[in-house]
Amino acid sequence: MIWQFDLPILTLIVICGAFAILVKDLLGSAIIFGAYSFLMCLLWTEMGAVDVAFTEAAVGAGVSTVLFFAAVHRTSREVRSRKSGRKLYKGLGLLASGILGGILFYASGDFPGWADPASPAATHLSPHFITRTIAETSVPNIVTSVLADYRGFDTMFETAVVFTAGLAVLILLRIGGCRTAGPVWQTAAAIRPAYGDSIIRFVTRQLTPFIQLFALYVVAHGHHSPGGGFQGGVILGASFILLAISYDLNMAMNRINEKAALLLANSGLLLYAGIGLLCLLLGANFLDYSILQRILPGVDGVAARSHAMLGVEIGVAVTVMAIVMLIYNNLVSNGTYEKGL
Amino acid sequence: MEFLLSKYNYWLYTLIMMIGLYGMLAKNNLVKKIISMGIFQTGIIVFYVSIGAKSGGTIPIIEHTQGGTHGIINPANYVNPLPHVLMLTAIVVSVGTLGVALALALRLYTEYNTLHEDEIIERINQGEGLSDD
Repeated sequence: MIWQFDLPILTLIVICGAFAILVKDLLGSAIIFGAYSFLMCLLWTEMGAVDVAFTEAAVGAGVSTVLFFAAVHRTSREVRSRKSGRKLYKGLGLLASGILGGILFYASGDFPGWADPASPAATHLSPHFITRTIAETSVPNIVTSVLADYRGFDTMFETAVVFTAGLAVLILLRIGGCRTAGPVWQTAAAIRPAYGDSIIRFVTRQLTPFIQLFALYVVAHGHHSPGGGFQGGVILGASFILLAISYDLNMAMNRINEKAALLLANSGLLLYAGIGLLCLLLGANFLDYSILQRILPGVDGVAARSHAMLGVEIGVAVTVMAIVMLIYNNLVSNGTYEKGL
Repeated sequence: MEFLLSKYNYWLYTLIMMIGLYGMLAKNNLVKKIISMGIFQTGIIVFYVSIGAKSGGTIPIIEHTQGGTHGIINPANYVNPLPHVLMLTAIVVSVGTLGVALALALRLYTEYNTLHEDEIIERINQGEGLSDD
């Protein structure tokens, strides 16, 4: 942990965070928040959290920024400044954050020193994961083995949360919405001539298969390198979002329409739960993969765990891909699927 | 100096959380509130990830060769992977919550034609929007 590298990045992060909420333009605010996420991703790489950094680069700096763009495009980008009337809220905000900061500054005295190898977090549970992962699961990437095996329950329900978020967006915008068509911010589609962005379209068309191939690699190679179902799924979803941005929403919807996306989101989660249920049917605990050696030909219990983790990761990737697409499509068209960014 | 170097990062994370909390409470615009929520979330996530850091530790992928010979694995050589797992899923869930929050803001905008909190409350009090059906 190199503080000469760490301190400037953290300072930049704090500056970006402050400006993201101070800027008077929502689009600018979203871009600064994207930069903030990207700096955060550098910080995590420096701390050795490569999987977290990968996820943040795909999710925080990538998809989140696009979602903000979609929402701002559908509403308005101006932040009205009113001189009076917010004094009470500002005072309350300062008071609450002051109290939180005071408590946490005070508590930091009791924390173990940063990156201390003898800290409680580093000495109790994690040595088991680090020393046993090869022997028990044959997966060298400890983050993957903890994610999909040791804490498989946790990950299954996190996937369910993502799925539920997609359903909530559908209910809010697709089913509950579209009663009054909101005014559309008319710059992008109206001013842009039809031939003006043929370079962007060409590059996107050539690039998309490679992005998708890379996403599949990220899913499949998550056992040995940073990556896995969540990252690969987000990259897959982002490739369709890229198509929707550079062409229009119909282009992406023709590839995977709403029905197919919902079907994929369901089947991914069912694949995860199904693997767990299969273990249960064979007589072991839910998500106790080593029992799958009975039906997988030619593997022992350890290899069965590794293979089942791949299945689980594929399920996660499919669900995340479909849900990211669904959220973007609904946000950018306000639930009508008519016109994109 | 020693004390400062082992604690300064916690103070900066606290600063990030304070910025986020202030924005969530004090800002009038709904999208600004959502961005502040994102900042607060990343403040917590970076705190958790920093717990996993270990000086002298490398990334949590066991060094391995094609044949599968590994030798003895020393936990002090690898950073703690557990916070990484917990926070990785938290980041993915945060994009889900972001989607729902933005969808709610969009619905409010279609009903009340504004993203500003005080104007929305004004219009609810006047009986506009959702209450008329």
